[in-house]
Amino acid sequence: MEIIQTKHGGLLILNLNGRLDAHTSKTFEDRLMPLIDEGNKKILVDFSQLDYISSAGLRVLLLAARKLSEANGKIALCSLKAPIKTVFDIAGFSSVFAIFNTPEAAITDLMK
Amino acid sequence: MPTKILVVDDEPDLELMISQKFRKQVRDKELLFEFVKSGVEALRKLQEGPDMDVVLTDINMPEMDGLTLLAKLNEQYPLIKSVIVSAYGDMSNIRTALNRGAFDFVTKPIDFNDLEITLKKTIQEATTFRQAVRDRDQLVAIQQELEVARKIQQSIVPRKFPPFPERKEFEIHAEMIPARDVGGDFYDFFLIDDERLGFVIGDVSGKGVPAALFMAVSKTLLKATALKGGPPEECLQQVNRILYLESVSAMFVTIFYGILNTRTGEINYCNGGHNPPYILRRNGQIETAETTGGLVLGAMKNTAYKAKKISLQSGEGIYLFTDGVTEAMDRNNDQFTEARLEENLKGWPGTPLPDFVRNVIEEVKTFSNGARQADDITILALKYLG
Repeated sequence: MEIIQTKHGGLLILNLNGRLDAHTSKTFEDRLMPLIDEGNKKILVDFSQLDYISSAGLRVLLLAARKLSEANGKIALCSLKAPIKTVFDIAGFSSVFAIFNTPEAAITDLMK
Repeated sequence: MPTKILVVDDEPDLELMISQKFRKQVRDKELLFEFVKSGVEALRKLQEGPDMDVVLTDINMPEMDGLTLLAKLNEQYPLIKSVIVSAYGDMSNIRTALNRGAFDFVTKPIDFNDLEITLKKTIQEATTFRQAVRDRDQLVAIQQELEVARKIQQSIVPRKFPPFPERKEFEIHAEMIPARDVGGDFYDFFLIDDERLGFVIGDVSGKGVPAALFMAVSKTLLKATALKGGPPEECLQQVNRILYLESVSAMFVTIFYGILNTRTGEINYCNGGHNPPYILRRNGQIETAETTGGLVLGAMKNTAYKAKKISLQSGEGIYLFTDGVTEAMDRNNDQFTEARLEENLKGWPGTPLPDFVRNVIEEVKTFSNGARQADDITILALKYLG
């Protein structure tokens, strides 16, 4: 899995590429958690290039959401492929995360 | 603890010179030297205390020479590293010594600076070697403990089938195959009272020991709560509240909990984020159990759950599984998929329940075609016969 990181004003955007499974979610966690600790409070995770997510990947997102909420921060997700959206729906995560169809819509919401 | 060096030489002046040269290291208890005069004495010394790190030996000695000693050391004390002392230019003996496992050599007359460097290097090698052996032993011990953990885990889910031979109104069978020694999947079933059978399947995020610990907590909590007899949605709500407090690093568990009324065939169920099970109809048709929209357990502090109902006719059933089945991969990373599972479920009427469960596991194995099992695989099938 590849993680491309960009800054957009006060917003941190992470573009995930490939598969977020039991193996790669550790990489994602080790990358994401320090970014939150460093004070990034608004994070957008772009799923447009992500093909697969396992429960281990969901756990990292949940951990990030918890951490950000303690720090009065926010996380949003965008551009989920259909099979990934199904995983979110089954796990009940669609109602826990702010999920948008496009990065623009997510950015608008995060900047509010 | 000082590094122990055994010096084997029949010339008495070596002892004196070494004692002088390494006076400081000996005083600081970094090094400890012992001196003997022949190979025979050296072996006797090692028999008394084999915890020597390095042997420094001359080649020409009475009783047993250095080369013979080397061969015996190599055979009996493979952890000890040896350095030989040989005459300058005596290439043939040096060659033989190195072939017999000597780590290094110094030549006479001994240059003590060179000896110090050589000993230092040899000690380092001996220490690394011992550490590697210790690490290996530790890994073996961990592996043995994991094997015990695996047995414990397998024994905390019910494994006796049929579990209630006196009950003719239903039949139940389940299998659980962890991807590693221990896993995060579980299943359970229990009679709440005379006419209500509780059944559960669950899948903890992640794998290995952390998942196994969370799995044990989840399974026990759910059963303890369920046996109080409350409806499934209330049960999951309570378990969720407690699991949330137990959840380190946002670990969570998906749980499907159903209660079968063994008199009427009605199932009341609540799904906390688990893959929807299949309902197996009498005519061989399969349906997906409607979602109840519930969140995985342990994720959020306060989560409300809703229950739904399914009616089973006699001879119909429900089939619960974890995503280890549908997401099992072959060598090209292609998944088994729901479609393949459904295909396998079609011929279900007429197949004895245990075979029905095992057949799918065999199918998944065949499909994987030797690719490593990435996730725990668990299946629970329940048939109503009232």
